[in-house]
Amino acid sequence: MPDAVPFHFMYAHNAPVRFVGGAQHEETEMRHYIKSALSTGMLATGVLAAGVLVAGSMVMSASADTIKIGFNVPLTGFAAADGQSALHGAELGVGQVNAAGGINGEMLELVVYDDQASPKEAAPLAVKMITQDEIVAGVSGSYSGATRAAATIFAESKVPYISAYAIHPDITRAGDYVFRTSFMGEVQGRAGAKLIGEMLGKKRVAMVTLNNDFGKSLATGFKEQAGNFGIEIVAEYEYSIKDREFGPIISKIKADKPDAIYASGYFFTAGPMVSQIRAAGLDQPVVGQEGYDSQKFIEIAGGASEGVLITTSLDRDSSAAETKDFIKGFAAKAGYPADMVAASAHTAILVLADALKKSGSGDKAALRDAVAKTDLTASTGHISFNALGEVQKDVQVQIVKNGNWHHHSVISDAVLLAPPAQ
Amino acid sequence: MLLIDLCIQGLIQGAIYALIALGLTLVYGLLRILHVAHAALFTLGGYVGVVVTNGSGSFLLALLTAMLIVGCVGMASYRVIYKPLLMRPPLIALIASIGVFIASEELFRLVFGAYGLSYTNPPLKGQVEILPGISLSHARILVVVLAVGLLSGMGWLAVHTRIGIAARATVVDPAMAASSGVNVETIRYASFFIGSAFAGAAGVMVSLLNNLVEPTMGAVPSYKALAIIVLGGLGSVRGALVASLALGVIEAFGTIYVGHILDRDSIAFAFLIMILMVRPQGLLARG
Repeated sequence: MPDAVPFHFMYAHNAPVRFVGGAQHEETEMRHYIKSALSTGMLATGVLAAGVLVAGSMVMSASADTIKIGFNVPLTGFAAADGQSALHGAELGVGQVNAAGGINGEMLELVVYDDQASPKEAAPLAVKMITQDEIVAGVSGSYSGATRAAATIFAESKVPYISAYAIHPDITRAGDYVFRTSFMGEVQGRAGAKLIGEMLGKKRVAMVTLNNDFGKSLATGFKEQAGNFGIEIVAEYEYSIKDREFGPIISKIKADKPDAIYASGYFFTAGPMVSQIRAAGLDQPVVGQEGYDSQKFIEIAGGASEGVLITTSLDRDSSAAETKDFIKGFAAKAGYPADMVAASAHTAILVLADALKKSGSGDKAALRDAVAKTDLTASTGHISFNALGEVQKDVQVQIVKNGNWHHHSVISDAVLLAPPAQ
Repeated sequence: MLLIDLCIQGLIQGAIYALIALGLTLVYGLLRILHVAHAALFTLGGYVGVVVTNGSGSFLLALLTAMLIVGCVGMASYRVIYKPLLMRPPLIALIASIGVFIASEELFRLVFGAYGLSYTNPPLKGQVEILPGISLSHARILVVVLAVGLLSGMGWLAVHTRIGIAARATVVDPAMAASSGVNVETIRYASFFIGSAFAGAAGVMVSLLNNLVEPTMGAVPSYKALAIIVLGGLGSVRGALVASLALGVIEAFGTIYVGHILDRDSIAFAFLIMILMVRPQGLLARG
């Protein structure tokens, strides 16, 4: 063997253990693999198809006189934790509606598909739900990418579709039939600016921004309003959703000496980030958003999570019966405390159920109009929609105290929180 | 002061990369296979670390158990995945490896749950001021101590023991080594054990720094470790170490000064491309 190893990134020709024949031999060998790979593939497809058929027929047999709501949600892949919570929340909503007599006597049925939070899965699933399962409406329990892909198809097919917690602005712009029951990123970013600049009175802010649609739109809203609340943004750092190690950013923030840190992220990025921020000896207030909103955040960050503030949709200490019922019902069903995605999926289902009751018929245009006129108190507060289908509701500020999320304050400034109407 | 702090943060990250990349470069040197599933072993190490620590209360026990278990699973992966495919083109083994890696993510999710696991009472939280104004947690210091200890231990083995010399001979010329009485199979099993155990140790340390082990924890190392061994010069152990540390520091500075244009991975790959344009064979061609 030569001393230097030639560089072949994915396919190393000179494997010392292999070369036994010439090119001809190699070619037939290759063909053999392709053949066996193909037959394995076909076998796998067959098995899968059989599985789908069995699953499909189960749905069929259970669904003689039910009203079907499609639900795409990530149950595998990187977003599976949020997906699982959203599914529990949606199932809880369906269960509550059915226990209370269903929709004018007919039972709701959730038709669930795993979209892996991937647009390329969500689009065909939307087609399948609409054409084969004949759902009356759909709910997305998924992230923005998958929800955008499905929303276009729902809008074109004129089937009502509610995004439970995906925040990308283009989702509701897919068409008249698409609604959103959670805040857009910009709206929550503005609320964050008010919280830090006015309510906490902190003026020098370092931003740590997750560089996806969620973090970017939060940052846009925050920066748009920062000046109005006297905030000076001393620095902004970006990170990717795969990052869990924030050592360099934290070292730099230490040198920046801000009064507060506005950090966007999900519990699985914010948990490690907050614990590393406190481990580095920084004691400034950390303000996050609904992405933190999970008991798992507190579990990951541990003692470092105490005092962290977030803007979100779910008030743990709410005195509203709808919210209390949800929080209690969720813990009993899922076995862990409720979170934002679960509350959002639950709210979306109740909005649909309410609209189904009011529209009466199976007519999708009537159902769409009924959703647009929603005026309902659900687990995430009082819900109504603007002309674009964006939700109008108060922002809840929650704080971590003694290892649990608790009420801190409410931001109910209709002008500040007005979502775009077109 | 900030510059020193960033260098330290980068070297800590680099030490983790080094522990992961070592196994990959050992396997490539011996078998010419890109062992993508190595990153699954890193994740497994994290899970064993959390489960054993939470169960027994002893972090040291957890670290040793993780290294032992992951090392054994590494040997099993050679026996079950790669050995039957050695006579096939390396592409086949690579595809099998990627398949195992993807399946492992879902397996972790099914066994340990989608939310990931955390330490109920994270150990080594204390702080030490190493330089005026720069303090590090015990966990971060342990990362460096562990990486230096394990890697120099392996370096000593490679130079001073019969099995180390035999291993290096096998990398250079397997046929000649075998005909000189070296048991090539033993060398392969030993390399898989050591490389995997180190990845397991890295998994435990990362799980401690983040206080989180997720099913997808291996996703970034699965390709970044490949970049590191290419950067270092494929099959070169010393090159992989140099590349790991260099990449850790480059990323630390990059995150701060060009982070708004390029994310951490893009910085790593831009660095890789720049180096390969100057030195197509990698930083150190063969150590």
